[in-house]
Amino acid sequence: MPAGTRPRRRRAGLKSHQASFSWGRHRVLVAALLVFGFGLSGVSGVVAYFLPAISAALNITGQHPQGNSKSPAASPSVTAAPAPNQPFNVLLLGSDNDAKFRYGVLAQTMILVRINPQTKSVVMFSIPRDLWVPIGNGGASAKIDAAYSDGGAAEAISTVENNFGVSINYWVWIGLGGLVQLVNDLHDVNIVAQMPILDDEYPYDLTGNNPYLQARIAILPGPQRVGGVAALEYVRSRHGDVLSDIARSQKQQQLLLDIKASAGDETVADVPSIASSLGDSVKTDMSISQVGSLLTLARAFSDGNVHQVVMTGEPYFASGYVGSQSVLLPHFAAIDALIAQYFPTS
Amino acid sequence: MRRLLPLVAVVALMAVFGFAVYSVLGTLKSTRHEFSKPTLTQALIDLSGTVVVVQNGDIYSLTNLKFTQIKAPAMDWVQVAPAPDGDILAVAYSSSYSNVYLLNPQGQIVRQLLSESSTQYFGNHWAYYPRVSPSGSTLFYVSDWLCQSASCGGVYNVDFQIQAVPFANPAVSPVVWSEAGLYFQGGDVQPIPLANGGIIYAKYAIDGATGATYAQLVYVSSPYANPVALTLPAQDCAEPALSPNGTEIAMVCTNNSLQSTTLQVASWNGTTLGTPVQISAGPLPASPTWSPNGKSVLYLNTLLTDKSSPFQLWWIPRATSPKPGAPQQVTEDLNFTATSPPIWTA
Repeated sequence: MPAGTRPRRRRAGLKSHQASFSWGRHRVLVAALLVFGFGLSGVSGVVAYFLPAISAALNITGQHPQGNSKSPAASPSVTAAPAPNQPFNVLLLGSDNDAKFRYGVLAQTMILVRINPQTKSVVMFSIPRDLWVPIGNGGASAKIDAAYSDGGAAEAISTVENNFGVSINYWVWIGLGGLVQLVNDLHDVNIVAQMPILDDEYPYDLTGNNPYLQARIAILPGPQRVGGVAALEYVRSRHGDVLSDIARSQKQQQLLLDIKASAGDETVADVPSIASSLGDSVKTDMSISQVGSLLTLARAFSDGNVHQVVMTGEPYFASGYVGSQSVLLPHFAAIDALIAQYFPTS
Repeated sequence: MRRLLPLVAVVALMAVFGFAVYSVLGTLKSTRHEFSKPTLTQALIDLSGTVVVVQNGDIYSLTNLKFTQIKAPAMDWVQVAPAPDGDILAVAYSSSYSNVYLLNPQGQIVRQLLSESSTQYFGNHWAYYPRVSPSGSTLFYVSDWLCQSASCGGVYNVDFQIQAVPFANPAVSPVVWSEAGLYFQGGDVQPIPLANGGIIYAKYAIDGATGATYAQLVYVSSPYANPVALTLPAQDCAEPALSPNGTEIAMVCTNNSLQSTTLQVASWNGTTLGTPVQISAGPLPASPTWSPNGKSVLYLNTLLTDKSSPFQLWWIPRATSPKPGAPQQVTEDLNFTATSPPIWTA
C-alpha cells in the first residue's frame, strides 16, 4: 500500500462525514438551533435586567391581608375582584414604619380611592386618622388608625367597610421610606406648596436609632421641585398648620397626583430600579398583572377627572375627647351622604 | 478541536447578544428629568444684561448666553435678591435655620447680615426673602420669631412675619412689620419694599369654612398698620414683583388649584391694583422678576408640555400693553430653584 493511502481514505472519510452533516441537509436544524440559542440568550438578558423587578414584584404584590396580631376580627375581608372595566375601590394605607410602635404601626394615612375605568375618573376620599369608630367587625371603638395596628390590612379593610359601607377590592400599603424612595426614583416631583410650612416638632425618624427625635423644618410656598425627603416633609408636617391632620390629608392627595404626573412617562426599563428600591416599603394584594393594568389605566386619567374629597370638620365630625384622647366624633348621616355621592354603587 | 471552534464562537456570540440586550434595556430608562450643570449649557435666548439664578445650592450668573458659577463659599444657597452696588443678597440654608449674607458679584462674602443659629433648639430661626428698600437703608425679610403673647402660647406659633433692620447695621433688634396673627396658617412672606416707605407682601390664611388655604397680596404703609388686601382669596395670588418704575406688579396665582399656577400682571397706582392680565397660563410659572427696562418679565416654569419637568428660565418679551407676548423658553435641561426669583440687572 503506497504511503499516504490511509490518509487519503481518512480525508475521504472525513469528506463523507462532512457531507453527511452538510449545511444543505441540516440547514433548517442549524438555523433553528441558532435562533433558539440567540433567543434564549436574549431572553436571559431580559430576565437578568428585570430580575430585581420580578423579585420585588413577587414580594410586594399578592399579599394576604392578614394583620399584625391574631385578632379574631382580622379575617381576610377583601371583596372579590371587580368585573373587567367596572369601577373598583382601593384602600390606600400609609404609616410610620419606625420603632415607636412596639406592637404594630398605625395607619396614619387612609385614603379610599375609587377608580372608574369607563369614565376614566378617580375619587380620592381621605379618612381622618383620629375618627372614633368601632374597629373591625363590630369591635370596641378606637381611633380608626388603630385598626391597621391591631389587625393589619384585613382589620383596616373591615373597619372601613363596616363604618363607611364601601366594598374594598384591593389594598395598598406604603411606608415612609417607600414614599421617599419612590419620589427619588422619579427624579423628584413638582408641587405647589399651599402655604409656608414651619414645623418645630417634625419627627426626625427616618435615620438614626431614636424615633422620638424632632427637627425644625421649613418649606416655602408656591411651585417648586422637591426630592423624596422634602416631599415627605410636605405631606407629613402638621404642627405648624391649624388644620393639622386635615391639611395633611389634602397634601397627601395632592402629592399622589404630583407623583402620577411625574411617573406618567417612565418607561418599562425604569421598573427594575424603582421596584427594587421600594423593597419592603410597599405591599398590596393586587397581582402583578393587576398592578400593570392599574398603571396603564392611571396614564389615561387627566387631573380634571380626579375628585379630591377631604372632610374638613362639621358637618362630618366634631372634635372631642374620649377619656384623655383627643378624637374626632363622626356624624355618619353627613358622611353617608358624601359616600353615596362619590361611591354610588357601594 | 477545530470543529468545536465555530460552536464556541457561536456560544460566545450568544452571550454577547444576551449582554447587549441587557445593556440596551438599561439605555431605555427615562432621562427626561435629568438635568445639567448650567455651566455646561448655553441659553437659548440672549437676554441683555446679567441674570443671577440658583440651582442645587449653587449660584450662577447668565451673561451673553453663557452661565458662570458664582464662587460663593460652600453652603446650601437657596435664594438670591438684588442688593445695592451690584451685590447679591443670598440665603444659606442649614438644618433648622437659615442665614442671610451679602455677597459681592464674584461670590465673596461682604458681610453676614442675619445670624439665625442658636445653641438652643428653639432659638434657631428661619430668615428668607431678603429685600433692600429702594433707598438702600432698610433690609426687609421674613422670620419665624415666636409669638410672645399669652394668647398663642409661644412655642409652636412659628408663622412667618415680616421684619426690618437697618441695612448698614442689621444686628439691632428688628422692627416687626406684620405679626402673622392668624396662627398656624403660614403667615406673611415675600415683602416688596416700596418707594413710599410701605411694603407689599403675600399673606397666607385658611378659610375656616372650607379648609382651603389661600394667599392674598396686601399693602401696609407702616409697621403694624392695617393691611389692605389687593387681591381676592379666590385668586390665591403670591410672589409679587414690582416693575422698575413702580407702576405694575407681576404675581403668581393658583385660583385655588393645587396642581397649576398662572402668571398675571396688574397695574399698581400706589394704593390699588388694576384688573390682572394673565400672561402665562401654566403649567407652573413661579418667581417672576422684571427686566431692567420694565417691559418684559423673566420667570421660572416647567416645560409647557410636561408639568413634572424641572424648572427652566422663561421670558415674556412684552409683559404689558397692548398685548402680552408669547412665553419663550430661555434655558433647557436645567433645574433652577423655583422659590428663588432671578435677579436681572442691566
